[in-house]
Amino acid sequence: MFSLALSSLRHRTAAFAAAFFALFLGAALVMTFGSLVDTALGEGVDPASEETLVIMGGVVGGWSLLLVVFAVTSTATLGVRQRAKEIALLKSVGALPGQLTRMILAEVLVLALAGAALAVPLGMAGGSLVLGLLQDGGQIAPGIEHAFGAVAVGQGFGITLLSAVGASLITARRAVRMRAAESLMDATTPPARLNGRRTAFGLLFFAGAAAQAVLTVTLGKGAGFEAQQYAGTADILFALGLACFAPVIVRGIPLPGFGTMGALTRETLRARTASLAAALVPVVLFIGAGVGTLYMQDLDGEASAGLMAEEGQQAVETLNYVVTGMIALFLCIMLINTLVASTTARSREFAQYRLAGATTGQVQTMVALETLAVTATGVLFGTLASLVTIVPFSYARTGSWTPDLDPSVYLTTIAFTAAVTFTAALLTTRRSLAVPPVTAVMA
Amino acid sequence: MTNTEALRLDEVRKVYGDADHTDNTDNRVTALAGISLSLPAGTFTAVMGPSGSGKSTLLQCAAGLDRPTAGRVFVGGHEMTGSETELTRFRREHIGFVFQQFNLLPSLTVLQNVTLPLRLAGKRVEEGRAARILEQVGLGERLSHRPQELSGGQQQRVAIARALVTSPAVVFADEPTGALDTRSARAVLGLLRQAVRVHGRTLVMVTHDPVAASYADSVLFLADGRLVGRMADPTAEAVAERLTRLGDELVQKGA
Repeated sequence: MFSLALSSLRHRTAAFAAAFFALFLGAALVMTFGSLVDTALGEGVDPASEETLVIMGGVVGGWSLLLVVFAVTSTATLGVRQRAKEIALLKSVGALPGQLTRMILAEVLVLALAGAALAVPLGMAGGSLVLGLLQDGGQIAPGIEHAFGAVAVGQGFGITLLSAVGASLITARRAVRMRAAESLMDATTPPARLNGRRTAFGLLFFAGAAAQAVLTVTLGKGAGFEAQQYAGTADILFALGLACFAPVIVRGIPLPGFGTMGALTRETLRARTASLAAALVPVVLFIGAGVGTLYMQDLDGEASAGLMAEEGQQAVETLNYVVTGMIALFLCIMLINTLVASTTARSREFAQYRLAGATTGQVQTMVALETLAVTATGVLFGTLASLVTIVPFSYARTGSWTPDLDPSVYLTTIAFTAAVTFTAALLTTRRSLAVPPVTAVMA
Repeated sequence: MTNTEALRLDEVRKVYGDADHTDNTDNRVTALAGISLSLPAGTFTAVMGPSGSGKSTLLQCAAGLDRPTAGRVFVGGHEMTGSETELTRFRREHIGFVFQQFNLLPSLTVLQNVTLPLRLAGKRVEEGRAARILEQVGLGERLSHRPQELSGGQQQRVAIARALVTSPAVVFADEPTGALDTRSARAVLGLLRQAVRVHGRTLVMVTHDPVAASYADSVLFLADGRLVGRMADPTAEAVAERLTRLGDELVQKGA
């Protein structure tokens, strides 16, 4: 089964490249902040520097951990789900459920190990960049050397391997359980449903977000920069909670007007809840975490203005934006990954529309309308998630529940998100449409 | 019956691959070696031949799904040329399709699948008419089901209703019974014949099944990309015998 797994990896490079990329970047992000904790544990670190490093490594490391677990899980799930047909074929030639599970596990292990191993240099570079910025800002004593040790390596490998293996085990079990005949007959994804486990996780995430918001306004009040450690997780947790309820949200996605193509898209939207939920989630996370974190840095900068030397102030801002940028980049790649994967999976459907008389332009119009509906819904719920961070943090930092914020940050984030979703979806569709429809329906 | 021409092919050739000039090897495969034919409106023609004879290529070139390397194709008197978008517009107005794998949209209901070509063409949708056609194929009770809730035979009948809804000049069927059990296959073939006899449609069907071919008015035999024979009023036995002979001739020629 291991050699089968390896040849399957070689054969499906494009599909696995996406999963590998998520694992690689996720591991690098976790290692970057893990190495700050390693540095804090080193010898000759003064208590003040140690505290800052642990907070930075623990807090930001914590957010990225959540995001990485989530990203790796959803990528691994998507990968296995798209292979329903291949798994069915293997079953029909006599592969036992246990053998299939081992094959899927072996693939994921190879990917996760390779991803984490290759992420080490990037994590090292990231860690020393952040440390340098911390030293420039005067938050850390200048003499401290960057260390990359047990915490970075342990977290980097541990998180990537655990979340990848856990996710594929759950998905594999579902795929493997299906009878060979029924999975061969119909490899289409079933509609998304809100089961007990999803509801429980969702409520847990919402409770976590609420707890963080409360901590922000209580413990975080007057605690300065440290309020971020509570507020920063609130939007991510809330967005993850919304992600659990995505199957319910997508059922109500509105799309008014747009004539015949709009009506057709509406009919399709209702039947494609599973893949819509998959596309909606990264948009909500990107907007929620992105807008929340950016405004948090804005408010932090405002509140600490004048308290520090201008030079130090500038360095702190740079640091904040670098950290936000790293997380945003990771989320953005997840967003593209998901959209490309879910659009590529529709090649056959696009070909069937064309055989029924749709021009390539009409298929593109449908994809654009669907992207519009998903992006708008994602922006709405993402904004809601970001408020769970912004409002409590504003109170903790400035004493006001209604902060006076610069709308250009928000508008830029939305414009950027829309540019990413439309470009990813439409370019992938164009690539699918380059294949003649009679050939594409056979695939 | 009318004697207007529904489909005409003039010296249609289809060659796959390119000649490689660097080392003078020729990788080209001739799928269609100059096919000319004319089918009157209101006829049911089966196209048969051994595997690799060019049946599917012929159907795809005739239906505007693939471009011939040379030659011309006329459907209902109009030549099929132009960009992919122009071809698509032409196809959805003048041509209906029935495929072996049905190719219904899983996200749309039965009725939505049938009216899809009309909506894509921007035409007014008379749902009553679509529902009537579905009733004629025996699915009047299944309008709001999704394709995956139906049996293979039922799905193929939806596909036939969809192919007929635009009143196309020609309906092309590619192994329409290939994925069906015998009973469903007979029902589908009966419906196809009815579309020709009762509604005056023109039908071209590619098949490898002599029983399916016997439902047609005439059978065209294809071998090595050429038309090698024609049989009117076919019976399954006569078609099977002719096919066997065709296979023997090919083996002898190759030996």
